[in-house]
Amino acid sequence: METKTPAIELKHVTKTYKLGGETLNALDNVSLVAQAGEFIAITGPSGSGKSTLANIIGGLDKPTSGDVIVDGQDLSHVRDRALSDYRNHHIGFVFQSFNLQGSNTALENVIMPLVFAKMRGKQRKARALECLQAVGLGDRVNHKPSQLSGGQRQRVAIARALAVKPSIIIADEPTGNLDSARGAEIMKLLQDLNHQGITLLIITHDQTIARLAHRMVSIHDGKLVEHRG
Amino acid sequence: MRFIDYIVTALRNIWRQKLRSLLTIFAVVIGATSVTIMLALVTGAKTFFRSQVEANGMLQQVAVSQKSDIKDFNDASHSGGNCDSCTKLTDAIITKIKTVPHVVEVARQMRVGAFEAVSFSGKKYTLEQVYATDANGVIHNNILAGHDLQPSDKEGVAVFTSDYADKFGFKGNYNGLIGKQISLQSRSFYSGVGAVVKQPVPCNGPCDNKLQQPPTVLTATIVGIMDTSTTSTAVRVPVDWAIGMNQERHYEFTKADQIAQEAACKNARGACNSTQHMSLITTNFVDTNGYDQLVVKADNAKNAKQVAADIKKFNVGAADAESMINSQLAIFNVVGLVLGGIGGIALAVAAIGVVNTMVMAILERTREIGVMRAVGARRSTVSRLFTFEASLLGFWGGVFGVGVGYGLTRIANVFINKQLASQSVQAHDIITLPIWLILTVIAVTTMIGMLAGLYPAHRAAKLDPVEALHYE
Ligand SMILES: Nc1ncnc2c1ncn2[C@@H]1O[C@H](COP(=O)(O)OP(=O)(O)OP(=O)(O)O)[C@@H](O)[C@H]1O
Ligand SMILES: [Mg+2]
Repeated sequence: METKTPAIELKHVTKTYKLGGETLNALDNVSLVAQAGEFIAITGPSGSGKSTLANIIGGLDKPTSGDVIVDGQDLSHVRDRALSDYRNHHIGFVFQSFNLQGSNTALENVIMPLVFAKMRGKQRKARALECLQAVGLGDRVNHKPSQLSGGQRQRVAIARALAVKPSIIIADEPTGNLDSARGAEIMKLLQDLNHQGITLLIITHDQTIARLAHRMVSIHDGKLVEHRG
Repeated sequence: MRFIDYIVTALRNIWRQKLRSLLTIFAVVIGATSVTIMLALVTGAKTFFRSQVEANGMLQQVAVSQKSDIKDFNDASHSGGNCDSCTKLTDAIITKIKTVPHVVEVARQMRVGAFEAVSFSGKKYTLEQVYATDANGVIHNNILAGHDLQPSDKEGVAVFTSDYADKFGFKGNYNGLIGKQISLQSRSFYSGVGAVVKQPVPCNGPCDNKLQQPPTVLTATIVGIMDTSTTSTAVRVPVDWAIGMNQERHYEFTKADQIAQEAACKNARGACNSTQHMSLITTNFVDTNGYDQLVVKADNAKNAKQVAADIKKFNVGAADAESMINSQLAIFNVVGLVLGGIGGIALAVAAIGVVNTMVMAILERTREIGVMRAVGARRSTVSRLFTFEASLLGFWGGVFGVGVGYGLTRIANVFINKQLASQSVQAHDIITLPIWLILTVIAVTTMIGMLAGLYPAHRAAKLDPVEALHYE
């Protein structure tokens, strides 16, 4: 039996917001280990801290205290430059509201992370086309987001997350803006990626989606509760 | 992010907000245009001035005046006349100056103040100045028609400035004036060469024997027309003639006359009423006051300064052209500074426009910045992207500003050429846009754009990615 190296390791992570005189623990002493290639679903009521957790793992946010170790790299003390490069090389984000650039075509949206990765023009175009084909949008590369359906837009977002060949994809309610059929297609796509070895972290309210995961954790008031997969 | 990607992305972002970018650039264009034109005017004027000075051989010249504290040519030409305690510029001084090393030649210069009008073919014109300079190659006059005065000319000839020729109706046909006769009409006190000085009616006891002279008319043949680059509304005559014009002559009952009369009366009986004899007394203005100014030619422009220093030892004033050129150029510098200041204000306003545009752009693109950060853009990447964008606004403003400025200087040259031609100055297209000026203006506007972009770029870079992603 093979021993997997932990892809993500959270040790006593706390995130505190100070609003006026009050302090709010968005995350309260959270510890979590995820193996490489794992598919974890994070559930919990609104405002419980799911997005906060995802953002900290994705390197968009920093914990107030505790350690975050992803792919052997401790994120809690690195500077912006290293953290940005980490996001660029290791993480693919998929958001509920797609967050595509309206003035750019699907292709240009997928190219964007590759530009920050300093890839050259021809190579990055080839890579972006490859990713768009992988999500079934090979015939829509020059469409702008406004000329695409909701499901297609989320596919473009997934292609964009894929472009830099990340080891982890973090999807924060990726199906939240889609009907159930479109949502199922997106989940199928993400599961395929997971089968190719990418660690998948999905935040969802939807229990049918959560049940697809290897493992399910839920958060209540910033505290993590582990469920068996 | 690679350099080329910064440029391409910034250009695309500028293009995305065409109207707003255009208006922002337009403000920069106004500033850049005014700075371009002003710099072009000033450098053009400087170059033109210097070339004129060089063409006139002025760099080799040293001006000498009676007053010893002159600083430049202008001082020298305005300090002639009454200075009783000064060393007079006499022939003796000229002889001394000619012994100074590197001195090639000395030209005498003097004004004649006794003439008030010039008549030509029945018409009378006021006469601003009659003056004389030696025609010995020291002072270069730009002759447009005919020829300059010759060293052998003594009297009866004159060179007119072209503005007179224009007044006489010979614009464009200066050759038509050559050989024509004109009359110089004196003021009423004139008693110099050509004047019929009358003997006063004899009187006993104290009485005024200096009679008012009727105006004298001298005739001159026009031998040449010169341009107005060194002087205007002037008539130049040979020095010898001017010396004669500056004579003062009158009859006086002298001691000799008295002795002669007394001798004649000895043999007379009763009251002696023999005709009183008077003598004509001639006073040469040059002998009493010296020349107004001397112009010394050095063998080389480099030696002019030393020559001036050596001549000063004779207790007269001396200055080379360099100081005059410098003081004239200083005026251009001041003009340039003032005009440049106006352009600077326009650019400052444009800079505020760039700041405003960029702050607006950041508000609009907050979410986009969040996405960029999420997919791996560093703070520095975001910052640079906005700095590039602002710099490009400045860059385009500079490019178009120089373009518009170029067009306007071309138009200005058309008018200036006309003006120069009407003054018969042989120069054209004097306002030029040297490459260094073009590059400087574009570099400066780009720099201003960059500086204006620093604050907005800093704001964009310090946005929190999570908050930016949720910005509504
Ligand atoms: N920048 C902030 N300043 C103050 N409080 C914040 C900030 N961001 C999040 N919070 C608070 O932290 C808590 C956790 O927020 P988070 O976005 O992680 O919730 P969530 O579980 O993702 O909710 P939802 O399911 O609605 O997306 C919330 O109570 C929220 O109000
Ligand atoms: Mg959330």
